[in-house]
Amino acid sequence: MSEYNPHEIRRLVDGELPWLRVQEIMRSPKDANRLLVWIEIQQERVDWNERILLPLTPALFIVESGARRVVKCRCGFEFGDDYRVNWKLEALIYVHEDRESLDRIYRGIDQPDPDWIQLREYSCPGCGTQLEVEAVPRGCPPDFEFLPDLDTFYRDWLGTPLPDTRTFEDKTLSEIARWEV
Amino acid sequence: MQLKDELAKSDRLLTETGHMFGLKTLARKEADPGNYEALWQILLNVCGMAWTVGCKVSSSPVAVEGGDALWSIHLPTGEAVATSRGIVSHPGLLSLLIRKYIESDYESMPGFHPGDIFENNDPHFGGIHSPDFQTVIPIHFEGELIAWAASVSHVMDAGSVLPGAISFMNPDSFSDGIPFTMERVGENDRFYPWYAKRIQSRTRIPELVIGDSRGRLAGCLTIRDRLMEVVEKFGADFFKEAMREYIEDSRRYAVTRVRTQTIPGRIRKSAFKDLAMKGKRVIMPDQDADYLMNLNQEITIDADARIRFSLRGASAWVPFGENITPDAIVSALLNGFSHMVGFDMFNWGTVAAWDLETPPEGSWANPYPANYFAASGLAWAPAVLWLSSLYESLGRLYYARGFVEEVAAGGATTMVGEFAGENQYGVYTIGQTLEQASNGSPARAIGDGENGAWSIYTPNADFGNAEITEFFYPILYLGRNLEPDSGGFGKFRGGLGHTVVWMVKNTPGIEYICGCAGLRSKIIPNHGMFGAYPTPPDRPSYARGTNVKALIDARKPLVHERGDPEDPTLARNIEAEDLQTDVIAPFATGDILKEHDLIIQPVSGSQAFGDPIERDPENVREDLERSWTRERLARDVYGVVAHRDEDDHWTVDAGATEKARAEIRQERKKRGVPFKNWWRAERKRVEASEGMSSAVTNMWRTSMELTPEYGQELRAFWKLPDDFCFETKEAEK
Repeated sequence: MSEYNPHEIRRLVDGELPWLRVQEIMRSPKDANRLLVWIEIQQERVDWNERILLPLTPALFIVESGARRVVKCRCGFEFGDDYRVNWKLEALIYVHEDRESLDRIYRGIDQPDPDWIQLREYSCPGCGTQLEVEAVPRGCPPDFEFLPDLDTFYRDWLGTPLPDTRTFEDKTLSEIARWEV
Repeated sequence: MQLKDELAKSDRLLTETGHMFGLKTLARKEADPGNYEALWQILLNVCGMAWTVGCKVSSSPVAVEGGDALWSIHLPTGEAVATSRGIVSHPGLLSLLIRKYIESDYESMPGFHPGDIFENNDPHFGGIHSPDFQTVIPIHFEGELIAWAASVSHVMDAGSVLPGAISFMNPDSFSDGIPFTMERVGENDRFYPWYAKRIQSRTRIPELVIGDSRGRLAGCLTIRDRLMEVVEKFGADFFKEAMREYIEDSRRYAVTRVRTQTIPGRIRKSAFKDLAMKGKRVIMPDQDADYLMNLNQEITIDADARIRFSLRGASAWVPFGENITPDAIVSALLNGFSHMVGFDMFNWGTVAAWDLETPPEGSWANPYPANYFAASGLAWAPAVLWLSSLYESLGRLYYARGFVEEVAAGGATTMVGEFAGENQYGVYTIGQTLEQASNGSPARAIGDGENGAWSIYTPNADFGNAEITEFFYPILYLGRNLEPDSGGFGKFRGGLGHTVVWMVKNTPGIEYICGCAGLRSKIIPNHGMFGAYPTPPDRPSYARGTNVKALIDARKPLVHERGDPEDPTLARNIEAEDLQTDVIAPFATGDILKEHDLIIQPVSGSQAFGDPIERDPENVREDLERSWTRERLARDVYGVVAHRDEDDHWTVDAGATEKARAEIRQERKKRGVPFKNWWRAERKRVEASEGMSSAVTNMWRTSMELTPEYGQELRAFWKLPDDFCFETKEAEK
């Protein structure tokens, strides 16, 4: 296992390390405490105090918020009450589905066929960060890109169990089932 | 003990102990680490030497110039131990092929003798697609079979229904071309005479095909000769035991890496591939249709760090050469896994670290249960796009765990230009260039992707020398340039691909086939990682019956690049009887291109990472300076306001950029609707199939039929009736 000064990991995360040094880090055995340093870096860069359990994207984190585990944006916006429901259900969505709206991104011979594909943008209602983009045909449910098994991770892989447990299950369809059509 | 019994024993030991060959300890490694490492390096070098020799002995330019081949060393029971560089998608298939020889009791009949040459290209029995010829030879030491040498190379014509080796048009396996079905094709280190005669009568360019056979054999013999020296030096016992340990070592490495760098849970990534063929030149009536293929990927990682890959939801097989077998997907996964997870010791051991759920029967990924004669002329096409999702999927896990240096966004696409006709020497030829083996690379979490330096199917990303390509084919390069905005748009953009401009020269005429080896032309990839935009679609251009000769004589501008997508240079500068600037690929027009006709073939970049308006404006400025992006995109997508001065240098207006980005954020909040509101309206459209092309509804119908639980989930998401299904639609136009 390698060990790195947390300052160097900060520089790595921010893309400030020389490429040759990055390659050395890639070649070397990984540092065992990376997750802790990573979370520490993220935690000090947000204005809220809830404990980050796992960064999901540059903007989204699973956090411990009281008795809840929720997906929270770096701006503070919370997406629902349970990280096991796809956070996209609480996002703003804008769909490019005709040539005129696609023109904003793709023009001329670079434009996909809107009869075949939708370009979906998911944004944070709090800060307007574009969180994910999907290019899928109509009918495709939104991707639930990553549902972590947090309890197994913290208990079995890290050896630091979380204070309470959740079943590892996708609860998105349960949430949808409650929606009025 | 017969090899068949050894194979059964190995399988049993893996199941019982979780270790390859039951190796709970790596005794040779522990007792003699120096020689263990030395032998490993020697095996790699032997494979590398075989690659060098084999490629140079080969005849076709893709092997000679592009190195589009591979050599490997295997255990007696087939498991790959070490491989050369080259097309690393194949060691898994070669392993499974040797296994099939053993399971079919070839050891008894015809037997495995010193000097035997076995060959295969049949997907029904361990091949991938007919142009990938596989050669294996047994290696004996003091009368005992101690290893196999294996090779694969991609020949330029397999005698398929249309000329070439990117045989997407094949309607069924009968049109896939010349079959070598697990055959012994030679003995005493020589091919049988009838082997060459069959190639002579059943392929269009036999001298190149046979030349490549000699290349594969030459590399395999190089391995055999060198291994004799190696075994003498290290001793047979050390050699045999270390060979097994390398495989278990690799398995352990892969498992450890998953456990220390990823997170247990479930990753889902939708992906699709279009095959729009309605109204185009096709072979059979049922090919006159548009298809969309569902390439869904689901990965689960359990508490023991075991990975399970699934293609649930894969749509039905297609009447084109774009179906692949589960065996070939295993091999493709080995390739992707080597890129993203385990690359210290690349061999079969990695396969034992994961499971592939049997793909839906009757799908493009497992066609034979529904149609045993499904074509697989270019089986890689859907597979490499499915594999592209693996980069992003694993990249998300590495990101979550903080290993930002390992993150990669999704990969590029693969479109191939092929020519068939009389060349400048008066000889009929078929060929392809290796432009597609030089995509832009995926963006990382800490920087842009590299330009023109990556390929999903080979680490040996190399498009070959233009001059050598001109030597083989009747074309001249008018341009070979990085294509602006050809990578995805994001905080870190995808590496750029490049575009070539070819002028037909010194031929009575050639046919140009724009082949699909994993392209998207109607749609774009579903790779909007963390808010980035995916790469544009693949759109080639060509011009037949041009005024280029007159332009040359008048010393007027020609075409050296694709140009602005809204105003392509081809249309601006060239007049032609048939000028196509926006063709939906793939296609084989059948039209003959003659002297001074033009082809513009773009090669895609890879995918991007993060919200584009978080890109450092200085990086956008640098891209503008290098003509790697355009002002419109800088403004509309990146929110960067920049001005060009009289000396063609760009300056960013920091205040205006900040304002523009703030406005984009506000616009997103204003025009975005709460998901639930969109869902309510959208579900009605889905139920009514509103605005859904036949390709889309037909894809969903077969995906839902072939994986019923996938269908149930889709219905539940949109709250559709339990018996809802999309109706079969005829293609539009």
